[in-house]
Amino acid sequence: MDISSAVIDSLHPLETKVLTTLGANPPEAVLNSEQLAAAAELEPSQLSMAVEWLLAKGLVTIQAETVTPVASLTKTGEEYHQSMSPIERVLAAARDAAGTGKRLTIPDLQSHDGLDPSDVSKAVGRLKKEGVLLIVQGGCIETTGRSSPTVEALKGLLRQLHESPRELKAFPEGDRRVIEDYAVKRGNAKEPFRIDERVTRAFMLSPSGANAAEQLLRQGVAEEVSQLSPDMLKDGSWRHKRFRKYTISLRAPRVGTGKKHPYREFLDTVKAKLVSMGFQEMRGSLVETEFWNMDALFMPQFHPARDIHDVYFVKDPTHASAMDESVLSHVAQVHQHGAETGSTGWGYSFDVQRAKRLVLRSQGTAVSARTLAAAPSIPGKYFSIARCFRYDQVDATHATDFFQVEGIVLGEDINFRTLLGLLNLFAREVAQAKEVKFSPAYFPFTEPSVELHVRHPRLGWMELGGAGLFRPEVTLPLGVTVPVIAWGLGLDRMAMVALGIHDIRELFTDNLELIRTTRGLF
Amino acid sequence: MPTITIYKDDFQSLLHQTPSANRTVAIEELEAWLMLAKGELKGYNHETGELRIELQDSNRPDLWCCEGIARQVRIKQQGQLTPYPFFSEASQSQMQIIVKPGIEQVRPYVAACAARGYRVTTEGLAQLIQTQEKLAEIFGHKRKTVSIGIYQLPKIKFPVTYALVKPDEARFTPLGMETVMTLSEILMVHPKGLEYGAILAGTGRLPILRDAANQPLSFPPIINSREIGEVQVGDDQLFVEVTGTDLPMVVLTLNIFASNLADRGATIEPIEVQYPRSTSLGKRVTTPLDLGKSKTIQIQKVEQALGQELGVHTVARALETYGYEVSAGKGSVKAKLPPYRQDLMHMMDVVEDVAMSLGYAEFTPVMPAQFTVGGLSDIEHMSDRARELMVGLGFQEIISNILGSPDSYSGRMRLEATEWGRMVEVDNVMSLSFSCLRQWILPSLLRVEAASSRAFYPHRLFEAGDVAIPDAAKELGSRTETILGAVIAHAAAHFSEIHSCLDVLCYYLGKEYSLETVQHPSFLEGRAGRIIVAGRPVGVIGELHPEVLERWQIAVPVVAFDLNLSQLLS
Repeated sequence: MDISSAVIDSLHPLETKVLTTLGANPPEAVLNSEQLAAAAELEPSQLSMAVEWLLAKGLVTIQAETVTPVASLTKTGEEYHQSMSPIERVLAAARDAAGTGKRLTIPDLQSHDGLDPSDVSKAVGRLKKEGVLLIVQGGCIETTGRSSPTVEALKGLLRQLHESPRELKAFPEGDRRVIEDYAVKRGNAKEPFRIDERVTRAFMLSPSGANAAEQLLRQGVAEEVSQLSPDMLKDGSWRHKRFRKYTISLRAPRVGTGKKHPYREFLDTVKAKLVSMGFQEMRGSLVETEFWNMDALFMPQFHPARDIHDVYFVKDPTHASAMDESVLSHVAQVHQHGAETGSTGWGYSFDVQRAKRLVLRSQGTAVSARTLAAAPSIPGKYFSIARCFRYDQVDATHATDFFQVEGIVLGEDINFRTLLGLLNLFAREVAQAKEVKFSPAYFPFTEPSVELHVRHPRLGWMELGGAGLFRPEVTLPLGVTVPVIAWGLGLDRMAMVALGIHDIRELFTDNLELIRTTRGLF
Repeated sequence: MPTITIYKDDFQSLLHQTPSANRTVAIEELEAWLMLAKGELKGYNHETGELRIELQDSNRPDLWCCEGIARQVRIKQQGQLTPYPFFSEASQSQMQIIVKPGIEQVRPYVAACAARGYRVTTEGLAQLIQTQEKLAEIFGHKRKTVSIGIYQLPKIKFPVTYALVKPDEARFTPLGMETVMTLSEILMVHPKGLEYGAILAGTGRLPILRDAANQPLSFPPIINSREIGEVQVGDDQLFVEVTGTDLPMVVLTLNIFASNLADRGATIEPIEVQYPRSTSLGKRVTTPLDLGKSKTIQIQKVEQALGQELGVHTVARALETYGYEVSAGKGSVKAKLPPYRQDLMHMMDVVEDVAMSLGYAEFTPVMPAQFTVGGLSDIEHMSDRARELMVGLGFQEIISNILGSPDSYSGRMRLEATEWGRMVEVDNVMSLSFSCLRQWILPSLLRVEAASSRAFYPHRLFEAGDVAIPDAAKELGSRTETILGAVIAHAAAHFSEIHSCLDVLCYYLGKEYSLETVQHPSFLEGRAGRIIVAGRPVGVIGELHPEVLERWQIAVPVVAFDLNLSQLLS
């Protein structure tokens, strides 16, 4: 029975290599790690990875484990190889003394450069035993002229093992004893040699492994590759390759993306909706005069919301250098006594200088007022998504700097019912709401005024916006004689829910990870 | 606009006036009625019956109290306003206030009335005080235009005089104090003196209301006398006075108080004010006083504004059931506001009252039918194209505040006292963090970079948004322009990397550009360029100066450009 092709297909190239190498030998052949590495042309680390995977899959079994002692140099050994071993130094010192006729005692040796007392006594002991040195009367050391087998053997061993570690059994008996004598043992770390036990495992194919190897060898012609290359396409060699199959259920690695800001994306959809409904975009200035921000909207100069606590004033220059004086005086008259608008006016003395005071735009309606004065199309629909500023303490529901979505609709057919019709349209298009409620509202510049409540598919009943018919006191002095709807949409709550945030300040967050991972559900 | 607290039981009894008709009002029903008053229920405590209501209309101070809301609903239910007799009483007033010369320079007007036969209850007293506060604070511009005093009538000997005195000439024990104080001491020590004293700043002599026995009633608009001006539960004879700088507003405020007390069962007795010389209402003014004038309203105009045919009768009924005094004519109605209102400036104000009285739900929405073409401004269109391209180049879009700090926009950018460091600054600064408008975009992006060192690199950020550039040649002293800023930040960020992006961007925006070496303090010298299009500078590009990065505490190199799209467009 053949092993499943799924197992074969999912084999890593390293695994295939090991299986086919083993399979190329006679059945039930046993190869140890070294032989296998050599035959499969793999690095030891690659081999051990592949063998572990194959063992886990049960395609290979361990046939035997042999333990081989291997000798190598320690750090001390490397030092001895570079200079001299203590025993060689002791012998050299003794010969040196004999040549010059100096007296040499053990304490002399112990104070010798590079020798410590324990090395000296061990070396002298060994050399005395070999008959190379004699201790004579008065503790003087003398040489016999004989050569030391230990010194000679050590020199050779240090050189050989410096080249590479070797199995202990590769050395002749005498050398082996020297290595063992000078090997690191418990309690004595300062020795030139170390003897480690290397475990060599021998492997053979399991029955299923043999089956897999057989199949692999049978289909053998096709070389397995992981990456299709331009060369393969060029010479057509891809036809003879097998492409390793991937584990496609793995998690994808992270990739950097270019993306719009989720809140901007939300505003973009609103913008697209408004354009689709026939609205033309208006732009305005961040810095405005009190005139366009408030006076032109028939907000009296004594209105509570015009107080210092609600608007940011500009420091320099404090006032506009020039203004359209005819519009200014016309609006001033309307405030004072209504002029030709049919209104009584507010009945106070209008301060022209105050009208020129520069402020940071506090409402998008300022942009609408400018449009009204600039000969708008009739019929006409306009919108702006305007950044506005309020002198508020910043908290989770108040931003000092925010977007207002608002605009105007001008036309002969504009009246209270078409105002409600327009709000219905917004409810459906912007909030996907089918149910709406209208309630009376108050804005200084509209009469009648309406608040629009909608039942949002996810948020339930919410206030979506406010609107009204501009008062004639607003439109007439700006040269507009048809009725005008002024409308505004409060979209931040919808945006916050769509973005999954609870604090209005997070709309402008500096947290890049948050911006990158936020999905807008619009 | 004001948010007030009222009690449901109190509201119900005002609504029905006769206890026998009393019935419990469901909260949903109450919410629907509140529409007649542009009121919104903000909270309801089932146990105490406490209701919190926000009133939207800043021109309807009569609605900023329990009595006023109940009255508006009651008129609808009863079909018309039962007229208040005291507005039309011809009878001579038994009580006078004599206004002395000189007061016209400080706080010229006063209006007053007496109320007998209503025994003040706990709720009633709370409402009286709340109404006094809301009217003086909001309608009366923090007592500047209008302030109100309420007293125990039996303690006052008429006539009362309203006059100016020297600051140390009059003394009394003010509310909230234990000892007798002079007017100047009140201004210096009393909490209300400290709060409202500025209204009287610069006036040598100060206003005082005193009775015939020379007892001070009040030092308007600061504080009442504790002896006479502390009304308590159980009192059943009251004196109400209003002083201020605007006669119609003073009279209206008194009319509201008189109507409120009448609604609670009091009999209102008018008081005659004798001025030294004639006012817009004459030399002798008896208050409460109905200042309303009839206005003829063309039905056709109402129908045109509302988009619905209604007819004279319907309009007349709608107004009547909203409190107006109405007489129907042919194709028009003559309408007069009730005396507690003064907000009729234009025919459109009447139109809204008609719609509210009928109920907005009575009007079927109609789609505006005229055809219009939608579209974006040129700058928005260009900005959108640039944003698409930046996203294609792998940049993450950012949105930031425009209002920020000079330290971010200029200081940390090494731009102090340079041409690039000029900004539109705020005069009434609340917090330095929000005290100027940005003049370029890069600081907004560095703000994000500085906070995001742990975010997966590389960082490629952009923002397209408005800035304000000071420009003395402009009427507004600055230009609002749209700028596209972009930064690349990572361990090996290089000039050529951002340069390539600018190159692609300009190519697809159809703009030929060149770079000119510029010495800009925010960038490393020799690694910064001015972007030139059609011979005009439209931005900068370069490698940010290490000192800028240090000041922002950014630990990787940053390359950036700042491209003025408005300039590019023009």
